[in-house]
Amino acid sequence: MIADAARKRAKKRIDWSGYVFISPWLVGFLLLTLWPIGQSFYLSFTDYSLLSEPVWVGLDNYARMFGSDPTFRKSLSVTFAFVLFSVPLKLLFSLLVAMLLSRNIRGMNAYRTAIYFPSLIGGSIAVAALWRNMFGKDGYVNHVLAWFGIEGTGWISNPDTALGTLILLNTWQFGSTMVIFLAGLKQIPQELYESASVDGANPVRKFFHITLPMLSPVMFFNLVLGIIGSFQMFTASFVITPRGGPMQSTYVYAVFLYEKAFKHYQMGYASALAWILLVIVAVLTALNFLASRYWVFYETDGGRSK
Amino acid sequence: MRKRRGIQETGALLMALSLVLTACGSGGGDKENAPSGSASPSESGASASPGGQAVELGITWWGPDARHEATKAALGIYTKQNPNVTFKPEFMAWDAYWQKLPTLVASKAVPDVLQMDAAYIQDYVSRGVMEDLSDIDLSGVVPDNILENVKIGGKLYGIPLSHNAQGIAYNKPDLEAAGIELPKQGWTWEEYFQWARDAKKKLPEDKYPIGDPTNAWDWFQWYQASQGKGAIMADGGKTFNLDKDLFVKFHNELAALRKENVLPPADTSLAFLENDPQADPMASGKVMTRGATVGSVAALEQLMPGKVAVVNVPNGPSGGGWAQSTIFLGVSATSKHKEEAKKFVKWFITDSEGGKALGLTRGIPINESIYKELEPNLEAKDKISKALADVASEKAMPFYSAGPGYTEWVDFYKTTMEAVMFGQKTVEKAYEEINKLGQDIAAKQK
Repeated sequence: MIADAARKRAKKRIDWSGYVFISPWLVGFLLLTLWPIGQSFYLSFTDYSLLSEPVWVGLDNYARMFGSDPTFRKSLSVTFAFVLFSVPLKLLFSLLVAMLLSRNIRGMNAYRTAIYFPSLIGGSIAVAALWRNMFGKDGYVNHVLAWFGIEGTGWISNPDTALGTLILLNTWQFGSTMVIFLAGLKQIPQELYESASVDGANPVRKFFHITLPMLSPVMFFNLVLGIIGSFQMFTASFVITPRGGPMQSTYVYAVFLYEKAFKHYQMGYASALAWILLVIVAVLTALNFLASRYWVFYETDGGRSK
Repeated sequence: MRKRRGIQETGALLMALSLVLTACGSGGGDKENAPSGSASPSESGASASPGGQAVELGITWWGPDARHEATKAALGIYTKQNPNVTFKPEFMAWDAYWQKLPTLVASKAVPDVLQMDAAYIQDYVSRGVMEDLSDIDLSGVVPDNILENVKIGGKLYGIPLSHNAQGIAYNKPDLEAAGIELPKQGWTWEEYFQWARDAKKKLPEDKYPIGDPTNAWDWFQWYQASQGKGAIMADGGKTFNLDKDLFVKFHNELAALRKENVLPPADTSLAFLENDPQADPMASGKVMTRGATVGSVAALEQLMPGKVAVVNVPNGPSGGGWAQSTIFLGVSATSKHKEEAKKFVKWFITDSEGGKALGLTRGIPINESIYKELEPNLEAKDKISKALADVASEKAMPFYSAGPGYTEWVDFYKTTMEAVMFGQKTVEKAYEEINKLGQDIAAKQK
């Protein structure tokens, strides 16, 4: 009885020392993350130009978005097109490179560094400038095409090809995805391959029946991050095809949001846009998690992918 | 095992959500993040009282490198003359400046002294950001008519710094080499288009006499004003008047020129980037002419030394181009050192030593006596600036900026007209859409 009561008391007492230890993080989270998020939620129901105080307008911003703003639909369709193509392409390409780099040959570390290197500078302004020079009307790409008698267009100034060029750039920035794949590949027990070899499986079969299933959690992780990252793509669209040009063919959601906020000073509307983006990404991520039950294989599940 | 996995999933989902949330938070323009890293200039000197006591003035401006260097030098001179005043300068490029300033206003951290542009000053004055400077005595420094012109509601909110003007720059040696008659001062729009057609006949396939101004709203503004139809946006944005007949005529003419290959193809035009050494339409050698202001023609002259000459924007019955002060120095209404700041802004256009340091980095100095001192030692780029101001002023009209609240319209004009350039929209349809948006914005301002 007495022991029981003591245990109950112990249960009720909160151990504050834990909170004290994580307080630096907690304060940062509350002040720099949660508070701004709350602010932006409030602002999404206001008309706020930064220069004067916010005015409450209820659901007007959301109504405008879905009712009367063709740019909203345009930027959304551009973004979806970008995500739809760039995410699978990037996954495929980085997996391919990771497979090559997981081999055991001499000097592999040098290769890995060399191949990862572009990703370090990938999202920067310098690369954007490089890309402009490569895919401009007088760029290197068109010079090479000219050798074969093909007259190239201005890849980044032609509305039909601009988005494709940006998807290519995104695929080229495969580094971090590739590193995660590489780590995943290293985790796969060699015995599986050995025993498959004994059973006479060819490399293609090994890939589809060992590598892919064993890699599926990593694949899933990369997919989720890739989708979130692609929805937030900004620099390329903003710098390479200045401000989402030509004819808004690369006017992705993040650029749209940014311009509403910092060019047209419509902070309220921009906040509403941010929340819609959050909802879209959250829904897609949730769908992803639901779908993952059918294709992601966890070893801890006792060998069943359910 | 299943339960454990559930927790893992939830954890990962939460993490994914917070990734998105934090990104949205900063994108949504929350107040909290905005002023981080920016100066709060009035704090450091707050303890000092004006008059002999140490004061630190925050000052911010936009511009190219040359202007940054010159301005820093001028600030140094001021500190030497007034040892109690030091500066905390913040300078950046045009785009960054207009992104940053609103956040400074929102966080009440506007530097004591700030540069202003004609396109924005009305907006900022109406929000109470700018201090009234009417009590600064500028007689004999700034011509009275200019001073009256730049007042807003009868009050002076920014000290005009320079004469600015719009003209057209052309590549003189290349035109001469091709045997093309040089553009004629005082030319009309008809002569301008005809000159382009004639010039194209003597130019190689991939060179063009004029650039394609289809997606630049201000070109049509010049055209409309020159034909006597005035500003597109007037009364602080409350009236919107886009003349349909002129619009269709102007853009049909450009479409015809594009078809005749007198204008560059659309994908070439959109790849141009003014003042970029490689991508500038004129500096790259592809286009023989382009629009230029007093400031930008100097930058162009440095990209292609000795090759630039200037002429006026094509005229109509009412004139052509514009000439006006467009750049100002103002004082923040929230400044804690207003008297020191006012003293400084006056010094900025009156002191001869400071004037020498500043040179022509903000255009032709508004103060005639400063300009006279500079005149004997002008560099080529300065001379071309002065030449542009001279050719432009002959028949110049006022500067019509986009009204407050019209930044969206300006963007819309650009995108819509780009669709016309690529042949995906008719000029009439474009007019309808552009006019509708303009009328809607005007209706909202009433």
